[in-house]
Amino acid sequence: MSLTPAVHLLALADSILERVGRDGAEVAVVEHEEGLTRFARNQIHQNVAERSRRFRLRLMGDEQVGVAEIRGDVEDLPGRLVAAAEAARQLAPPGEVTPLPRPDAGSDGPAAHSPATAACTPEWRADQVLTVAGLHVAAGLEAFGAVQTSVTHTAIANSLGVRRHAESTAAGLVCVARGQSGWGYADRHHRDIGGLDARSLAEETVETCRRNQGATTLEPGIYPVVLSPYAVADLVGHLADLGFSALAHQEHRSFMRPGEKLMSSLVSIADDASHPEAMPFPFDDEGVSTRGVSCIEEGVCRSFLHDSATALREGVPSTGHALPMPNTFGPWARHLVVSAGESSLDELIAGCGRGLYVTRFWYVRDVHPLRAVITGMTRDGTFLIEDGRVGRPVRDLRFTQSIVDALADVQGVGRERSIELDEGERAMLVPALSIRRFAFTS
Amino acid sequence: MKDIAELALDVAASSGAAYADCRVVQRGIQALTVKDGRFAEVSSFEDEGVGIRVIVDGAWGFASVDRLDSDSLGEAARTACRIARASARLRRQPVRLAPAPVAVGAYLTPVERDPFEVSLEEKMDLLVRADEAMAGVEGITTHQASLEFVREHRFFASSEGSQIEQVIVESGGGMDATATSADEVQTRSFPNSFGRHQLCAGYEAIEAMDLAGNAERIATEAIALLSAAPCPTGSLTLILDGTQAALQVHESCGHPTELDRVRGDEAAYAGTSFLTPDLIGRFRYGSEQVTITADATTPGGLGTYGWDDEGVAAQRTVLVDQGLFCGYMSSRETAADYGWSSSGAMRAESWNRIPLIRMTNVNLEPGESSLEEMIATTAHGVFLETNRSWSIDDRRLNFQFGTQNGWEIRDGKRVRLVKNALYAGRTPEFWRTCDAVAGPSEWRVWGTVNCGKGQPSQVIRVGHGAAPCRFHDVTVTAAS
Repeated sequence: MSLTPAVHLLALADSILERVGRDGAEVAVVEHEEGLTRFARNQIHQNVAERSRRFRLRLMGDEQVGVAEIRGDVEDLPGRLVAAAEAARQLAPPGEVTPLPRPDAGSDGPAAHSPATAACTPEWRADQVLTVAGLHVAAGLEAFGAVQTSVTHTAIANSLGVRRHAESTAAGLVCVARGQSGWGYADRHHRDIGGLDARSLAEETVETCRRNQGATTLEPGIYPVVLSPYAVADLVGHLADLGFSALAHQEHRSFMRPGEKLMSSLVSIADDASHPEAMPFPFDDEGVSTRGVSCIEEGVCRSFLHDSATALREGVPSTGHALPMPNTFGPWARHLVVSAGESSLDELIAGCGRGLYVTRFWYVRDVHPLRAVITGMTRDGTFLIEDGRVGRPVRDLRFTQSIVDALADVQGVGRERSIELDEGERAMLVPALSIRRFAFTS
Repeated sequence: MKDIAELALDVAASSGAAYADCRVVQRGIQALTVKDGRFAEVSSFEDEGVGIRVIVDGAWGFASVDRLDSDSLGEAARTACRIARASARLRRQPVRLAPAPVAVGAYLTPVERDPFEVSLEEKMDLLVRADEAMAGVEGITTHQASLEFVREHRFFASSEGSQIEQVIVESGGGMDATATSADEVQTRSFPNSFGRHQLCAGYEAIEAMDLAGNAERIATEAIALLSAAPCPTGSLTLILDGTQAALQVHESCGHPTELDRVRGDEAAYAGTSFLTPDLIGRFRYGSEQVTITADATTPGGLGTYGWDDEGVAAQRTVLVDQGLFCGYMSSRETAADYGWSSSGAMRAESWNRIPLIRMTNVNLEPGESSLEEMIATTAHGVFLETNRSWSIDDRRLNFQFGTQNGWEIRDGKRVRLVKNALYAGRTPEFWRTCDAVAGPSEWRVWGTVNCGKGQPSQVIRVGHGAAPCRFHDVTVTAAS
């Protein structure tokens, strides 16, 4: 059974607005279908499918706001939704209520969508696992991972005339390989299942795993590093959460100092929801068109991301980065794009001299928000770089490092970029980076 | 609910399922937040759907749907069977389930005051009073207080004949006060960090927190932290408060004793475990002061229920006995690998997710000491409170935690407030230095509301009974 076309979801949203029958109402309808096949030890061990539809109503008036959300085909859904939101609104104490956005001139495209992904079957997902497992078995290794496909139809309408709808898809293939004494990792993300390329992924994990056997201990300390795009994505995602939001700036907890050069001239980071490789999507959770925002430009702090609430406080337009409103989290970067450099990965490694190549980070957490200090572990392939070449594997290390300082020490940027999705399904288009100093603490 | 489940099981059986279970779940969540005296939100969330899990041709399949009409249920059951057949193409050994008694019964979280019967006015009044008390402390940058209430009505039925109805009620609340300066952001939270403390209980749990009564104190502490000295560094004696001890147990004992991690089922995501089955009964995990249990019967714990999500009765499992590693949390499938019975720890986030082995209430059992005694008998060390940062490797060995608040201890006395504390170590070496755990009077059940695991990701709420405890020769530093 296929999903309801997004334009029909918009009609459902309109019908709920009609039921409300007054100003100050916003309705979001999201229908989602997802399949995920997990494998471990070269076998499928979990294999699931989900289908759901959510309705969310925000009602405001008299300086009060109430929200109700229903997932499921409950009896008299419109009536229950309106009643719950109105009950919440009436009992909320008066406070700061950000007005609903008005329609803007943005179009309902582009959105990352592929009919092939929307029509994907469990048999196709099993075929990918067969490919991946087959190559690992042939190499004497075990494969673990997941193949995931999803399709989401979204419609947002409000009583001021905002009417947006879009259909999007995502596909992902993640794999770790296990050998006698070490692991390897690779992932692929794309809007289209044809972009996953299970064979090339498996070849990468097998190669990394083969190199990563018999790792030896390395003393913690400060080393030059070359970070793979997988590792760079972790840094950039945390950097955005710590400082790119206008709310973080307004609450004095962002490291960003607009106009100041805090990072290397080689570093430029934008949030660009229209970039064709960054899983584009045209609007945010208020139905405001998402504009491209340059946050870091050649190392200089530039602009912040806004939703309607932060924009109102500064008297500027929203940049279209709202999460479902109201919320205490603030605007969120969903399409981070790091500018590519000019070096191949081999050139970055050759230029590093003696240092470490990091395949991937793990369990990264904030330590000191204002200085953008984070901690985490390396995982699934950490290698010594000696004489400009990747050499012997070393055991996983803990790092504790300011991201801002690391990006100030960037000495090379890869020209190839890959698209990564984090747990919040934020897209990040990132290159490999060479960094002069990176602190490993245990 | 029973009719829905039986229909789904019938379709699964007629589609070739050798085993099937079905969970019908209805959930309601009410959330209230007040921030900075000018932002207030009241929201409600209703959710219902059904998840059908089957074994066909020796392999698992699962499908879920949020529509409960017979056509949708039938399609979901057939989809689960189709998925299982796809799984069977890459399954060398058929799934085996450890035997479990057929269960028929009901369970209801004991509550004194049903939180959904308490008026929104009363709840909002509490939040406004707490928020105002924080605002009254000069220099506070942001402050917020929130409440959340959950009621989940679950019906489980299996092709083996189990039929279980459960209603789980949760009440949670918390607040944060944040102070900033040119180079510092300091937050104090109460009763715990990361939003709130939560229990399987009624509104009485909120009343017992006394949010308003603690609001001014935590705001004052946040201000004081701005000018506090950095935490001393070195190999020091470390005393943890109950909330941080709970998180230490969660990360360094709870996760590595999940048996699916040992099998490699989570290797691609959450990771594996250093606690392999050959170590049972002979590996010294901690000192003799350390006894840790997984107990799904702990009153008030977020991992407390009547039966797990594959119909196995709630039970208490000893994970570490006086320092000796001795058991796991398990499922019917993982237990069968070793000829064991399930420990009843299979839990799903909701109807749309399969059950996984999750923590129930993983408790550090109380000792005989007290916080004041530990401080009084410490020559030089730190007492750290309330988690701020946490990270641990994928085998659960190398950890680093940070806390919001710290006190330097010298010659048995708290001598000064310290900030930005971090401590690090390796799990067994750390727990082996534990020489004191506070007694029952300081032992409390804490709720962890943000435990993530699995693909698709599942966030589940787990409980941890813990009390202040002391460790020696721990690497302590200050974030800078």
